Amino acid sequence: MKWDKEKIKSVLPHREPFLFIDEIIEIVGSQKVVAVKHVRKDESFFEGHFPNNPVMPGVLITEAMAQSAIVLYASAKPEIAKTHPAYYLGKVKSEFLSPVYPGDELVIETTSVKIIDDAGIADSLARVGDKVVARANLIFGIRKK
Amino acid sequence: MSINYEEEVRNLVSDIIEVSPEKLTLDADFIDDLSVDSLKAIEIVAAFEKKYKIVIPEEDIPKIRSLGKIIEYTRPLQKD
Repeated sequence: MKWDKEKIKSVLPHREPFLFIDEIIEIVGSQKVVAVKHVRKDESFFEGHFPNNPVMPGVLITEAMAQSAIVLYASAKPEIAKTHPAYYLGKVKSEFLSPVYPGDELVIETTSVKIIDDAGIADSLARVGDKVVARANLIFGIRKK
Repeated sequence: MSINYEEEVRNLVSDIIEVSPEKLTLDADFIDDLSVDSLKAIEIVAAFEKKYKIVIPEEDIPKIRSLGKIIEYTRPLQKD
């Protein structure tokens, strides 16, 4: 199953310029999602990070991973996701292994460790081509409205 | 095995909720006495599932709100 940006926006509360996934290319039940972020040359964050040496900030890779985890949560708990609850990140353990540059296609594979109504844990792996550029364990909460 | 298991569980939980093992009594309620929120709760559940290779269904989580209850709940699930 694939999701375009409009479908992603129906689940995520994030909007440009803080929406960091462009498409979902794979969803495996409530266990795994694979998201893609096309890292454009004109991303606003490259203006300052860094002038003449553009590198995608690690925190934004983490944010993209967290956004993919929301899609994963929505696959596991569609009825709650439909109510548009508040999602918040509680704890992150991450490693950044290689820089991400303008023009890269960031592929983020996020798998469920445990998801319950009001919280979730997911492992996420970000790749550019065959190279793993970051990995993280994310613990997030859901506050129903 | 029983004393060791209790100590093992106490250490596992105390690491996650950042409460010293001495303060983590069998009866202390995670939510009311130890301020465990849903994020810490799922961390505890996931740590048990990983360490002991068990699955704790979501509907059972509210039943295990103290160290004593966790031990009572998980001990029969041990595969040893």
